[in-house]
Amino acid sequence: MDQTINFKEVTHTYQADTPFAQNALNQVSLTIASGSFTAIIGHTGSGKSTLVQHINALLKPTTGEIEVSGRTITPATTNKNLKQLRKHVGMVFQFPEKQLFEETVIKDIMFGPKNYGASDEEARSDAQQAMALVGIDEDLQDKSPFDLSGGQMRRVAIAGVLAMKPEILILDEPTAGLDPRGHKEIMDLAEDLHEHQGMTIILVTHQMDDVVDYASDVIVMDQGKIVKHGRPQEIFSDPQWVYQMHLDLPSSAEFASRLITAGVPLKSVPLTIDKLADAIVEAVQGGHVHE
Amino acid sequence: MSNFLFGRYLPGNSWVHQMSPQSKLMLSFYFVVVIFFANNIWTYAALSVLILMVVLMSGVSIGYFLKGIRPLIWLIIFTVLLQILFSSGGHVYWHFGPFSVSDTSLINGGFIFIRFLLIIMISTVLTLTTTPLAIADGVQTVLRPLKKVHFPVDTLALMLSIALRFVPTLMDEMETILNAQRSRGVDFGSGSLRHRIQAAVPLLVPLFTGAINHAENLSTAMEARGFTDSEHRSKYRIYRWQRKDTISWAVFLLVGVLVLFIRKS
Repeated sequence: MDQTINFKEVTHTYQADTPFAQNALNQVSLTIASGSFTAIIGHTGSGKSTLVQHINALLKPTTGEIEVSGRTITPATTNKNLKQLRKHVGMVFQFPEKQLFEETVIKDIMFGPKNYGASDEEARSDAQQAMALVGIDEDLQDKSPFDLSGGQMRRVAIAGVLAMKPEILILDEPTAGLDPRGHKEIMDLAEDLHEHQGMTIILVTHQMDDVVDYASDVIVMDQGKIVKHGRPQEIFSDPQWVYQMHLDLPSSAEFASRLITAGVPLKSVPLTIDKLADAIVEAVQGGHVHE
Repeated sequence: MSNFLFGRYLPGNSWVHQMSPQSKLMLSFYFVVVIFFANNIWTYAALSVLILMVVLMSGVSIGYFLKGIRPLIWLIIFTVLLQILFSSGGHVYWHFGPFSVSDTSLINGGFIFIRFLLIIMISTVLTLTTTPLAIADGVQTVLRPLKKVHFPVDTLALMLSIALRFVPTLMDEMETILNAQRSRGVDFGSGSLRHRIQAAVPLLVPLFTGAINHAENLSTAMEARGFTDSEHRSKYRIYRWQRKDTISWAVFLLVGVLVLFIRKS
């Protein structure tokens, strides 16, 4: 099935027709290619979370329409028959460990597949596969999710979404509050799902290093609008603009731009540590380094 | 939820906004008592004019007010209908089994309708123009005399202000959990009653565990900041009685006396 996501002039207003009305999305048009790893970045309150919640119709556009997974979502779309769409679009919310509720880990992970009509056996095998994917030990499956550590709880919650075998996976700041190791594990998992299972990944994040390390496409949002959509290289090529958007540079680029202001002649702004190392080696061998 | 006005605060700087919360609280309470003394068309008219004045002075548009009342309209209509159909006496226009409609029941129904409207209006004005924290402070001030009978007023006020502070937080959390479970395939609000009750479990369990976590974290944080008991504390926000309060009370008392004079005895 074609999994391209298409937004056509989508506007979303929260609490329309009240004094609290707030325009969160403003005439957003965009296409997210099937099988891409897209990062959505932007200042807090720029509309990132609102945007991604449209993809599985948790929010419906005030005007405009969205095509996803062969379905068209318009302002008139009702809540009926959205289950099938939501099965295709897995959504991991911020702090997903808050959504755990079952008595045991395995039951919680089986919850999603069972809601979509899987039998107990199917759900159990899906759940075990998902547990293996996110790296939860099988011994933990009969424990209460509330006895686990924060990092483990998060992985159980993510497994609960993966067990539904979505084709599109939305991750809304999946690594917020995790230690560096947990952070890397979750991001590597996302990359693995993208590369080996062909999942379309949409990542909402504030971590620019993750953006350059993992994403193939970047969408920059500001005040409910999409201000740039392109490859990481294009997005970060203009540091001044990035700062204007209240965003940070990836740490390598940041370091490189400081080297450049200090007089080290780097040829380009490298986005990853490897590229930075290459650029420095090149500069040193070129013999232009000041003592 | 989003068009539910009752219990929300609308920032502003009107006469009503500037009054002190304790006097607004007492005034609303007093007004509700006066409403129950009203029993003929003139008394209701006087009270309606007063409330209209208050609404105008709160700086909130009347259309917005009426929209806020809309969610409660069914409750009002239900009560009014009961009153109309089941009360007896007066000239009977229509009757069927235990139901009957008479002129007195129609008039009583009308009065109950106005009564409801007045009570909702005054409490909506109160919550729209007073922040939840100011209301908590107001309650504390109003209840202070109860300290003499060893009622834990300060503890109650603390609980109240914490509860009010966490209402939006828990609402947000509920929204997120609701959405998260929806994306896992839960259908809220459809299907049989049994199905609906079952669907509430994945919402309620995380909400409760979340609330317990909040409570644990908050109590630890409070202790770490030197909170020992609620009795021996000073206050940061102080609301003083102002001229505006005195004037408002004078007007309300005048109308109250007027109502007592023109009611049918």
